[in-house]
Amino acid sequence: MSDWDIAIKRGVEHNVPRVFKVLREHPYLEDLARKVREGKLEVLSNLDHYIEMTMKSVEMIGGKAYFVENAEQAREIVGKIVGSGKRVVMGKSMVAYETGIRKYLQSIGNEVWETDLGELLIQFADEPPSHIIAPAVHMTRERIRELIKEKLGIDPGDKHEDIVRVAREFLRQKFLTADIGITGANAVAADAGSIVLVENEGNIRMSSVVPPVHISITGVEKILPNLEYAMYEVLVQAAYAGLYPPTYINVTSGPSSTGDVEQKRVSPAHGPKEFHLILVDNGRRKANEDPVLREALLCIRCGRCHFHCPVYRALDGKWGDPPYSGPMGAMWSGVVYNDYKPALLCSHAGNCREVCPMKINIPKVLEYLKSKYFMMKAGTREG
Amino acid sequence: MIDEDQINFIRRNLLKYLMEDYLPFPVNKSVCYEWANGLNLKKGGETIIYTGCSYQLAELGKRFDEILPTLSKFKGVERFSSILKVFYKPRDTRSYKILRNIASVLKSSVDFGYLYENEPYSGTILLEMGMIEEFREYAKKLIELFNSHGVKRIITVDPHTHYTLFRIKEMFSSSWNVEIVNYFEVIKNIKIKSEGTFVFHDSCLYSRFLGMRDSIREVIKSAGIVLKEDEMITGKETSMCCGGPLAPINKDASDKIARNRAEALKTVHNKVLLVCPFCYANLSPYVEAYDFAEVISGE
Repeated sequence: MSDWDIAIKRGVEHNVPRVFKVLREHPYLEDLARKVREGKLEVLSNLDHYIEMTMKSVEMIGGKAYFVENAEQAREIVGKIVGSGKRVVMGKSMVAYETGIRKYLQSIGNEVWETDLGELLIQFADEPPSHIIAPAVHMTRERIRELIKEKLGIDPGDKHEDIVRVAREFLRQKFLTADIGITGANAVAADAGSIVLVENEGNIRMSSVVPPVHISITGVEKILPNLEYAMYEVLVQAAYAGLYPPTYINVTSGPSSTGDVEQKRVSPAHGPKEFHLILVDNGRRKANEDPVLREALLCIRCGRCHFHCPVYRALDGKWGDPPYSGPMGAMWSGVVYNDYKPALLCSHAGNCREVCPMKINIPKVLEYLKSKYFMMKAGTREG
Repeated sequence: MIDEDQINFIRRNLLKYLMEDYLPFPVNKSVCYEWANGLNLKKGGETIIYTGCSYQLAELGKRFDEILPTLSKFKGVERFSSILKVFYKPRDTRSYKILRNIASVLKSSVDFGYLYENEPYSGTILLEMGMIEEFREYAKKLIELFNSHGVKRIITVDPHTHYTLFRIKEMFSSSWNVEIVNYFEVIKNIKIKSEGTFVFHDSCLYSRFLGMRDSIREVIKSAGIVLKEDEMITGKETSMCCGGPLAPINKDASDKIARNRAEALKTVHNKVLLVCPFCYANLSPYVEAYDFAEVISGE
């Protein structure tokens, strides 16, 4: 067996039964998932309106909101906020990967650290993530041990716990001295301007609270009509990802504030003095106009479909255009990169549709992308 | 991962062969209907058994998939197809036995005919590849053909043909009013030939696209077959594909999926029961596999 085969086998054996157990023990989660789907469809059916509402709400609570059409504009705005010569900590954001934020910030003279353990390993190895929320799922712990030895000069030993301890010691000092924290957002509440983030490591909480500036970058499809729906979204995401209850749920509504002096709300308090929300389009609004592709935008990035997909497993996790991988990634390669080739590799096993909390008919979306590929070919003179 | 030359080669030739001969690749048509020789099935009729040439072409298709990467690099190779159509007759006798057994089991519960040399291939590969516009074109031709023979009720014997007809009905619901049933829905009083315990490899299409997972298991168990289950390997959400549909696009990935699936099944039981000719073609190199229609007989 290859390294990948060993790693994914362990990953599946840990994850799949745990998600089944979580869903059995908390039957309300399926109801919440249905509500999240409704909320997302409501937003998508009136997307521009909700983008505008979100941006106004963010400004109302003292934050700054930006809408960007593509990756280049996203880099430009983040670059302006950060400047150079800064230390930046990043809580895992796939949209930051999609828009190339880390490497761009490094190129203009900043020290940038990924703080999600999996993402840090990806940064150490300079490899693309192999799973939407478990980016280093392709690495065995034996490989991780070697990687840490090579990059940090410390042998963490062979135990999962010891590997995590070494990473913890390395990163704590980065959190405490960072100038800027960059996170994504699992959900954005249009009515409140709040972002909601779910995690287990504590890295997102630290990245979003300790540095004086917090930037959140996310896709426009993460908007939900209100904070109630946004809270449901993170619960559902955590459950279908397999770690439930999640260790932390973070709600951020603008910069830190207090009302303790005569009940007047003033900002900042102890947390960040600046909050920036960057909403990224990059193909999403165009996809939203297509009734079949709109379904892809419902994805909440739980990564469950990956673990049930025979193709993802057989292709060593290298299916789709990074950071998007697996069945959802084959859809998203079409959404953000106009690349329909990954869809051709779908064998329509159908498991992804069965396990998707948003009930996305993934095989149908991929069949549609395949047909778009063939129509495009037929339209050219090739062959 | 994707060889676009290969895909272009398939795109250029597939629909051409289908539209000319109702077959996906150049092979003598007799390969499809010879299985019925000597069974005395009546020709045509309102109710027909329809194989879609799935069983007959599964092994051959696999051989084509193996040579596709080389074939697609040769210029002018398409010229040989007319020769193959006449002389190439690779008989898969195992598949003939399976079809004969299905037909004889069906005979006791339903009256049906067969189209013999007029029986077309189902077009399932177009669906698998995602060539939907091309599929639509071929589907119209199939509807015309079935209508010209006065077919009102079709009994399918494999998941791919069944699913394909289901999709055609969905696409042309107003113009094609034919009843489509699967042999699992029709057969009665079947018995296993000798005592048997198996692990069942679900067909993805039956199980997850056609909602037949439970009803098929019921039929299998009613024949006296014992099925071993494991939630992580044979569950609705966990049982995996055999890799078959991917073979024309990426043979290596297809084989890897087959090996992974076979290894998982073996941890449940050494004998695998399946109900799809493509699953058999893909899994049998790696595990002891049996088609359901091989292990049963009518009473």
